[in-house]
Amino acid sequence: MESVMRQKRKRIRRLPQVLAYGLAALAMLYASYSLPRWLPGDFVTAMYASSHVTLNAEQEAELRAYYTQQKRFGRYLADFFSLQWGYSYAFLSPVVRLIREALPWTLLLLGGAHLLSMCLGFLAGVEAAWRRGSALEKAGVGSMTFLEGIPEIGTAVILFLVFSLHLGWFPAAGSETVYLERSGAQRLLDVLHHLALPFLTLFLAYLPGNFLLSRGSMVMVLKAQFIETARAKGLPPLRIRYAHAARNALLPMVTRFGLRIAFMVTGALVVETIYAYPGLGTLLFNAIAVRDLPLIQGIVLFSSLVILLVNLALEFLYGWIDPRVKHAS
Amino acid sequence: MNVAMDHWSVIYREKEHALLALDQVGLHLFPGRITALVGESGSGKTTLGKSLMGLLPGSAETKGRIRLDGQEMAGADEAAWNKIRWSKIAMLFQNGPANLNPVHRVLDQVAEPLLQHALVSRAEATAEAEKALFRMKLSPDQIRRFPHELSGGEIQRALLAMTLILEPPMVILDEPTAALDAMTKGFVSRIILEARDQGKTILLITHDLDLAGKMADEAVVLYLGQVMETLPGKDLLVNPYHPYTLALGRSYPSMEMHRDLGGIRGDAFYRIAHRHPERNGAVRPHTHVIGAETAHEDGHLHPKGCLFQSRCTQSIPVCLEKGVPLMEAGHHRVRCLRGGIAVQLELQQVEKRYGNLTALGPTDLRLRAGETFCLVGETGSGKTTLAMIAAGILHPDQGHRRFEGRDMDHWIRESYRTLAGKIGVIYQNPADAVSHRFSVFDIVAEPLKIQKRYPDKESIRRRVLEVLSDVRLPTETAFLQRYPHELNMGALQRVCIARALVSGPTLLVADEPTSSLDPSVQAKVLKRILDLQIEKGLTLLFITHDLGVARKIGDRLGVLLAGKLVEAGPTAQVMRRPAHPYTALLIESARGQIPAASAGTNAPPVTGCPFAPTCHCAGKDCLTRFPETTRMEKDRRLVRCHYPLHSDSPGADPGASGSDEMKTGLGAG
Amino acid sequence: MRLDIRRSLMNDPWFLSGALLGLVLAFLAGAGPWLAQYNPHDMRFPPFTPPSSDHWLGINDGGMDIFSELLYGMRNTVWFGLATGVSALCIGVLVGMACAWFRGVTDQVLMRLAEILLAIPAVMILILAAAFFRPSSWMLSMVLAALSWPTIAKAVRAQALVVRKTLHIQAARQMGASGGYILLRHMVPELFPLYLIGFAAKARMAMFMEASLSFLGLFDPSRKSLGMMIRYALPYYYLDIWWNWLLPPIFCLTLLIMSVTFLAVSLEKVFDPRLKEAL
Repeated sequence: MESVMRQKRKRIRRLPQVLAYGLAALAMLYASYSLPRWLPGDFVTAMYASSHVTLNAEQEAELRAYYTQQKRFGRYLADFFSLQWGYSYAFLSPVVRLIREALPWTLLLLGGAHLLSMCLGFLAGVEAAWRRGSALEKAGVGSMTFLEGIPEIGTAVILFLVFSLHLGWFPAAGSETVYLERSGAQRLLDVLHHLALPFLTLFLAYLPGNFLLSRGSMVMVLKAQFIETARAKGLPPLRIRYAHAARNALLPMVTRFGLRIAFMVTGALVVETIYAYPGLGTLLFNAIAVRDLPLIQGIVLFSSLVILLVNLALEFLYGWIDPRVKHAS
Repeated sequence: MNVAMDHWSVIYREKEHALLALDQVGLHLFPGRITALVGESGSGKTTLGKSLMGLLPGSAETKGRIRLDGQEMAGADEAAWNKIRWSKIAMLFQNGPANLNPVHRVLDQVAEPLLQHALVSRAEATAEAEKALFRMKLSPDQIRRFPHELSGGEIQRALLAMTLILEPPMVILDEPTAALDAMTKGFVSRIILEARDQGKTILLITHDLDLAGKMADEAVVLYLGQVMETLPGKDLLVNPYHPYTLALGRSYPSMEMHRDLGGIRGDAFYRIAHRHPERNGAVRPHTHVIGAETAHEDGHLHPKGCLFQSRCTQSIPVCLEKGVPLMEAGHHRVRCLRGGIAVQLELQQVEKRYGNLTALGPTDLRLRAGETFCLVGETGSGKTTLAMIAAGILHPDQGHRRFEGRDMDHWIRESYRTLAGKIGVIYQNPADAVSHRFSVFDIVAEPLKIQKRYPDKESIRRRVLEVLSDVRLPTETAFLQRYPHELNMGALQRVCIARALVSGPTLLVADEPTSSLDPSVQAKVLKRILDLQIEKGLTLLFITHDLGVARKIGDRLGVLLAGKLVEAGPTAQVMRRPAHPYTALLIESARGQIPAASAGTNAPPVTGCPFAPTCHCAGKDCLTRFPETTRMEKDRRLVRCHYPLHSDSPGADPGASGSDEMKTGLGAG
Repeated sequence: MRLDIRRSLMNDPWFLSGALLGLVLAFLAGAGPWLAQYNPHDMRFPPFTPPSSDHWLGINDGGMDIFSELLYGMRNTVWFGLATGVSALCIGVLVGMACAWFRGVTDQVLMRLAEILLAIPAVMILILAAAFFRPSSWMLSMVLAALSWPTIAKAVRAQALVVRKTLHIQAARQMGASGGYILLRHMVPELFPLYLIGFAAKARMAMFMEASLSFLGLFDPSRKSLGMMIRYALPYYYLDIWWNWLLPPIFCLTLLIMSVTFLAVSLEKVFDPRLKEAL
């Protein structure tokens, strides 16, 4: 009975956070909804103005109608959740379809680079902190700090120039060689070949942050009294390192990760563009170039909501792994 | 497990200095015994505990040997230590809750050692851990919680279970009862005793002298990394040999003692060991003690000699010169060139008669350096006579006196003035004790002039000002020129105290110094005397008829009855459980209870005990034969009574109150 | 206490290199208009000319002198970073102090607001705003500041709550000091390390954003920026011109971000242990 009550209390305490996220999501949706009304002047001419796209009268009328119709916010929401996100005149395709095509590539690149850099960065940080003061650790920290100072743009361009232009080892653009029919395994290889440079760029961009954070929080944890107790209990060093210390060092990392997400997305955007990698980033870049409002809106809204969801999930994750939070107010 | 630690030294290397944590410490521990390691912070207690577990940091340099059950562990590598850690030797660290990982459940952490060391399955380990925790009176619900959800007492019990889970033959406990409530304290103490009875070797690191005194078989006193004394546990508070141990006992707030906290004069924080060039250019490794007021050319205390010397109440010049080894003395081992607390004053069978009246029957008295001895008794009991004999003013008809080891009578004959300079006397009535023709300055400077201690006027003046500020009196010329009739009694008495102190005595005899003062002033003057006693390291012989005062200031209490000392012992013990009926009577009347019968000594002298006529437990022989002195073992008390109220019988153990606590223990959950 | 902080900073290689780099770059950025030989918007030079003594970095595809572009671009980036950093800092400190001092409703409302703002991904808003409203770079800087103050506010609030309870603040209150006096003379100076760290972090992020956003073409095209230069130079990567057109802005941008990163890292290292024990 008591644990049921506690569960209820847990959920109630979580409410303000869920509320904040919900409000943020709503705010974004509303902003997107009312955006056209705020646009200066005649937005239709503003759109597509500096691009090669020309609209015939009919399309212009459609566009105007789409944006000036006095849809209610509720209707807008319903449309949104039923994936009716408008039509892109620049690319002549419904926004949803464009996003759906680009999304997997972005997930592959971004998701993969994040995951790998998190795992490796965390492990490397843990091991570095364990060997604190050694030459290896100092070299690691030094090189990682240095690396952190290089922005994604820099890494991307340098890698591009060296490996793609100069050495020609990797392709300069795209996610796979087009116009070529290949079998499964060969296709996979081809994809990886194209993925390599952008992946490496993002990996190198995310790694230092993860490493330094992991090492930093691990160093703090290793100073704690209970680590000495664990050592006194005769536990093997590996167990102390991971089951006791790293487990506690994980907590600040989870918090920081959430805060850095939005920051990371910008970098991914730039990298995709440089490599002409057909993910959401390049899509957005192109959309901006032609000022295609529906597409821009769609992408921005979609990614914002995804980021919000990820953050919310992280909050719950943190509450799950840190028992002190579960029971604190 | 047998532990043999020999010549164990630990130095922590930091950036500029090296901290000397332990200096050639020897320690031997045996199964079924509790050894208490006592000392203040900076003494090296925790370092010693950690040495036994191999948990010293990498920056620590060690020298010496540690043998656990014959196996040499000094310099062993982590793997060798890991084999025996927790399974053969386990430690309960300080700061209870910080020892548990906040993200693991308590049950899992207690089961963890089982999983690592014993070849058991997870289920078995958990079951075993649960049983152990249950024995510590923790419920199944509690043990499945996380550390932050439990109270300090619950955590301490869980930690205890975790420490004992592998049944190690040796357990080190670092402040196991600090910050615990009384109930949990009792429970934890009981568990420790049980462990001892099971044959475990127990090292109890603590600064709680009460606990150490009650539980330990042997106590080791550490000061700045050196062993100062090893003694039987029960002697810790009642019969210490080393001045430091005595001072520690006085500093510790204890239910056993009523005396106001004393503190130890001066201070010392830690010892550093380094090399810096001496003035002649040679470089010599040596150690310095860092304290608040250090007095050496380079800002450090003198490196040679006894570590405690600067704070000791009985140091002699040779204490500065020679290093001091640990020496055997009965059941104790003491590191003191004087063999422990020196006897300041010893009176053997001194007697004084005035015609037919025996003012003082054959009496023994022993005053130890640095202690406060309160002599109580009624008017005419001979207190003043005894005090004056002790001060060297009166000559006894019989008996011997020794002051600082020298025969007093001999000394008096040879050069009385030097002896006079070592004893200061404060009299009851300050108005009578000074000449009204002398100014304040004259009064205070008089001893110096008489004893010709200072060559010139200037140094005399400086000394007078110094001692006047010690007693918190003004040092302006206007005050110095005042005459006694211009001062109030309290101030005048302080002038007398200043006079008593001006020649830098080692013994202060105070004969009812506050009896003729107003109560508010009494408190101030009394406090000043006490503070001065600690600051200057004086031995204080305090005469009073007021038991309340005696209770507050005395280390030991002596009761005089008709010229004979009928009881003498540690103040708290005597007050709580008087052995002599007369003492009991005095205590009763001091408490305001009207005694059943008058305790006058107007009865004609009888050959037996003078109290017999009024004593309610007197026997036939009380009237005929005056009892001999018997010595009670427990607290080294002296009694002269045929039928003392308490004796050495078992069951009348002063530690009994403690075990009552332990017996009630804790209910379920 | 302040002495040994200064000493540890001076001994820290990261601080020294970051400060040195920063000073050099700041000088270049500040003195840009005087160092540049030409007006960067001037398009009359022959395009794609390789570097010469007249044009140190050559001429880009639009006929503009690259070196002048570089200097002006750096200036704009630095300016953007500083402006955003300072604004975010001011707002964050104000809000944080207000929350800690007034507590109650003020605290609740402001903190909820902060949480909502934290949940919103800043870059998206910036993109949206930049794409449609074409605001000036000042406006964008303010928008970014408005989205990044929450982290600073939270840190300031947490530390201010601790400082509020210290004895010297209570003593001042007992002496009759007003709230404003205490805030100004006691609390604001106490939190100094937080300002440095917060500012460095936000400035870094802002410069990074500026480069990225101008790369994406979201700024006013007539505004010179390192990101914009990269964007225009990139399509011509296969020409020989890449090393004097593409690399310099990359290089400068990297050095800029690096210097701020090093400063931020060393500041955190020096100040953090104390903060951590207080928090």
